[in-house]
Amino acid sequence: MNRSAIPRLHLISDRQLCDLRAFSTVAARAVAGGADAVHLREKAIAAGELLAAARGLRSAMGDAAMFINDRVDVALLSEANGVQLGESGLSVADVRTLGDGRLLIGRSVHDVEGARGAAEDGADFVIAGHVFETASKAEQAGRGPRFIASIAAACSLPIIAIGGITPERVEEVIAAGAHGVAVISGILNADDPACAAARYAEALAKK
Amino acid sequence: MSNATINWRERLPDSLRLYVLTDRRLSRGRSECEVVQAAIAGGATAIQLRWKSGSMREAVDIGRELKAICAQSDVLFVVNDRIDLALALDADCVHLGDEDLPLDDARQIVGDRMLIGYSPPTLEEAIDAERLGADYLGVGPVYGTTSKSDAGEAIGVERIAAVARAVSIPIVGIGGITTGNATAVVRAGAAGVAVISSIVAADDVELAARDLRTAVDGARRTPA
Repeated sequence: MNRSAIPRLHLISDRQLCDLRAFSTVAARAVAGGADAVHLREKAIAAGELLAAARGLRSAMGDAAMFINDRVDVALLSEANGVQLGESGLSVADVRTLGDGRLLIGRSVHDVEGARGAAEDGADFVIAGHVFETASKAEQAGRGPRFIASIAAACSLPIIAIGGITPERVEEVIAAGAHGVAVISGILNADDPACAAARYAEALAKK
Repeated sequence: MSNATINWRERLPDSLRLYVLTDRRLSRGRSECEVVQAAIAGGATAIQLRWKSGSMREAVDIGRELKAICAQSDVLFVVNDRIDLALALDADCVHLGDEDLPLDDARQIVGDRMLIGYSPPTLEEAIDAERLGADYLGVGPVYGTTSKSDAGEAIGVERIAAVARAVSIPIVGIGGITTGNATAVVRAGAAGVAVISSIVAADDVELAARDLRTAVDGARRTPA
């Protein structure tokens, strides 16, 4: 997979911060500001509701890449560009077959072992975290940019860093070897999601 | 169809005679495979992998074993809710509820590769489901049940009879069904019965399955 085909600024949904109806609008604003990927990651809702949300998001967000967490069936029906798999999700090989080779496959990893596994399994990229302390994972301490460097040393896949990343901190995670960043509260909690996304996009463009 | 030698659609009325849903929490520490093997030995004709918690990776591992066990005995292997899992396991059938993926969307993904079962909450939705291509219907809860927290009010065998009159696809009754009341469900027009706790939580799974199967077969031979 050509690295340039992997989006660099990923917005990830979180119903605790932004309900699903509002999320399409916020995502569209973030895309306008420069986000090039949006992930629907909602584990606790039924598939019917998830599909409706995914279709709404698809039509709202234009050409940016849409990822569905975990459910390949919903990804296929909503014309998503890819799926994001947890470490205990379906296997990359199964998802390749189900998606007929057309889906980008991201794997979420939390350590070097997980990143090696994702590379061996043939994932297209990893989301690695969390890098800094964050309210969404309050019980875990952040591991800093050095964590990204250790992942980069162990696996050649593009790395999307996640966890407490602000626009000011983009530079150091990119310097540590990240290809891009994934953001939740940094955009969902912003007064202006387009403006917030633009600040991340500018920071990413520097390198 | 996943297995070219079996036309599941044609066989469906027989495959629905005794339909067993897995439930780890009710299985008293026994594995899915252990329970399913015993249920099939006792006469189960369909097995549904119902995976409510736990990882997908584990669901795939267990599902592959269950699929192989079912295939050996020509038992219909059904996966609940997740079409992606059903396809990855090459299941014979996927079963959907009204909050799951819509039937027409489901058919678009699975095509003719597998059957689709559906649980309609109302008589109207039963009729719609047949029109949208459901291959069979799970109708319930016939009696009160404790296995499914979201099952709703008991509907009684009258609803089985009403749905059976309204559609031409086979139906299976579910919810609180035991050896003692299975006969009434089948006589009301169901092809068979679907059960969770009366089999997976039984002291002797094989014996429980045999008793239920005997009740269903008896009712099918001697309609009221």
